[in-house]
Amino acid sequence: MKFSISRDSLVRSLNLVAGVVERRQTLPILANVLLVLKEDWLSLTGTDLEVELVGRIQLAVAGEESGEVTVPARKLLDICKSLPEGSEVKFSVKESKVAVRSGSSRFTLSTLPAREFPNVENSIGTHQLTIKQGQLKRLIDRTGFAMAQQDVRYYLNGMLWELDSKQLRVVATDGHRLAMCTLKEKINVTGEGGVQVILPRKGVLELVRLLTDDEADIQINIGSNHIRAATGEYTFTSKLVDGKFPDYGKVVPRSPNNILKGSRQSLRQAFTRTAILSNEKFRGVRLKLTENTLDIVANNPEQEEAEETVSIDYSGEALEIGFNVSYLLDVLGVLSGDQIKLSLADPNSSALLEESEEDDSLYVVMPMRL
Amino acid sequence: MINNDDSPIRKIIHVDMDAFFASVEQRDNPALRDQPVAVGGSAERGVVAAASYEARQFGVRSAMPSVTAARRCPSLIFVSPRFEVYRAVSQQIREIFSRYSDLLEPLSLDEAYLDVTEDKSQVGSAIRTAEKIRSAILEETGLTASAGVSYNKFLAKIASDQNKPDGIFVIRPHEGAAFVTSLPVRRFYGVGPKTAERMDRLGIHRGADLRAKTMNFMIEHFGKSAGYLYYAARGIDQRLVRSDRIRKSVGRERTFGENLSTDTALGAALEDIIESVWDRIEHNKVSGRTITLKVKYADFRQITRSRSCEQCLTNKSQFGATARALLAQLLPVSMDVRLMGLTLSSLSAVEPSRASRMVNYSVNSQRNFDF
Repeated sequence: MKFSISRDSLVRSLNLVAGVVERRQTLPILANVLLVLKEDWLSLTGTDLEVELVGRIQLAVAGEESGEVTVPARKLLDICKSLPEGSEVKFSVKESKVAVRSGSSRFTLSTLPAREFPNVENSIGTHQLTIKQGQLKRLIDRTGFAMAQQDVRYYLNGMLWELDSKQLRVVATDGHRLAMCTLKEKINVTGEGGVQVILPRKGVLELVRLLTDDEADIQINIGSNHIRAATGEYTFTSKLVDGKFPDYGKVVPRSPNNILKGSRQSLRQAFTRTAILSNEKFRGVRLKLTENTLDIVANNPEQEEAEETVSIDYSGEALEIGFNVSYLLDVLGVLSGDQIKLSLADPNSSALLEESEEDDSLYVVMPMRL
Repeated sequence: MINNDDSPIRKIIHVDMDAFFASVEQRDNPALRDQPVAVGGSAERGVVAAASYEARQFGVRSAMPSVTAARRCPSLIFVSPRFEVYRAVSQQIREIFSRYSDLLEPLSLDEAYLDVTEDKSQVGSAIRTAEKIRSAILEETGLTASAGVSYNKFLAKIASDQNKPDGIFVIRPHEGAAFVTSLPVRRFYGVGPKTAERMDRLGIHRGADLRAKTMNFMIEHFGKSAGYLYYAARGIDQRLVRSDRIRKSVGRERTFGENLSTDTALGAALEDIIESVWDRIEHNKVSGRTITLKVKYADFRQITRSRSCEQCLTNKSQFGATARALLAQLLPVSMDVRLMGLTLSSLSAVEPSRASRMVNYSVNSQRNFDF
């Protein structure tokens, strides 16, 4: 196995593929990336047994002797990244070593046999659809932050994808806040009826990194245990979380009648400033709503205090409500319109956050007790 | 942190219930009034948890072995503790505190610091606030409390002890330094019998002696407490009243009715202790990294063995296995054992301590979805 490849295209692909490789693995070979050469195509595979990513690169010159080998992913990435941009990298396998050469640099990497490299089994897909990468990226960007992390309710450590014949909706929640985004455009799905699957958190984070070309297609194939997504250059496979996602419809407030409308930027800035003096751990801020005025107050255990007054559009009842300011900032950070809308029922009930112009996303945040 | 000359003078109150457990018992059982009462076990190995003032006249003190207490005061009446009642009263007094300050730091069931600089209820003076608190406690719980009023925690705590019981004492900003000068070192908070003894050997008996020492001297002899003691000796204490104090360790120890002499018996006793400590760990929603096993032998020699793990112990089997390994180091048992204890420390709070629930901004009061 012997080939030459441009450093830049290798780094681009290896960056994504090595992202899947865990720093601590259960099997030594999981630290490696699988390189497969077939004439003028090189494929790179990284896996942690839950998520697998295959990248494909077409070589300018076909390699000599097709073959396959695995090498340490992190080391190979670090080497290639530190080579000068625009350089060529030559690979050759000798016995159980891989020689990497570029200009006057030479490296010899250890290998493990390619036949021992595990592949994520793929179940037969039941639902297929093709959408634009930009569409999927928007869905994930708008909701990903609300996924739980290492929650014992393991089904929250991921993102719900809900598919029916015409619509794709994604939902993420950590039990304190919930984010939901529905694809505005109608889609074409092959497969029987609707389906609900949960992608694991890591899978979501790796998948979104592949979505670099908004206008290009991504083909999605959902099976009972796996999801596969393919772009021109990459094939992503992930196990699905086996569990039941909570009934998200239940937590969306019915008809909150105290409605605040305000400038997203000025609210975001005011919250960012008050957050500095909120309790570092619990991040509580107090919102006082009176006619057309919002006061935001934060205190910390050192008895320091921040106060902001923001003019808004509000004619509901006077109200005081507490929130984790990070939850509000997360939402304001992903919304894009000039105006946002915050709808409240009372200080003990969930609040609804939306854009006033777009209507594909919806956020629910539970308050803190005052 | 120390150069704080510009900061406004704080007003701190330390409230301490008088002979708390014993007073509650005397309140609830008229037959005990005016009698020497000790709350605690009367059994051979029992310990006095609290003594009424009548009992204190005989030299009965808390933490004293019940046997010694009974010897000093033959008419001493032993009462079993009723912690659920004490906790309920404690809630009552904390509620009273919260009327006058949002910044309060309970130290235990029966004492707390309050920062009343802000004067939440517009009383106008810290001394009047302290008096209002004391009378509210008397009126609503039928119990007396003593209060110390000063400009920092160190002095407020000393002050509350000054006119005990049912008294109040004030140390004003300009009196602080002078007050400390004549104060015996063992009344400094944080100076226990061991440190006092060490100070004694160094010729330090009163605040003035301590004040005469340099910071370098303090660091050399008192390590971590050096800074605190150095400034305390000058009447300075910048520690804030913190409502989010977190628990440092969870543990429990057991004095055996009869000394244990075999490895098997010790092993079995350890299993019991593992169970109850783990219960407390779960109850307090903490996890920790360090496990300490304490063993006291029949001759009162005491040893501890501890082990720290890199990551928090999150499950009981891991916790139990570490505890058993610590005990195994001490086997075969060389002498009868009278007490064994197990403690988990280097805690990380999974949730803030109960105490911090008092003040909204330092509490995890995040609501959850109901799904």
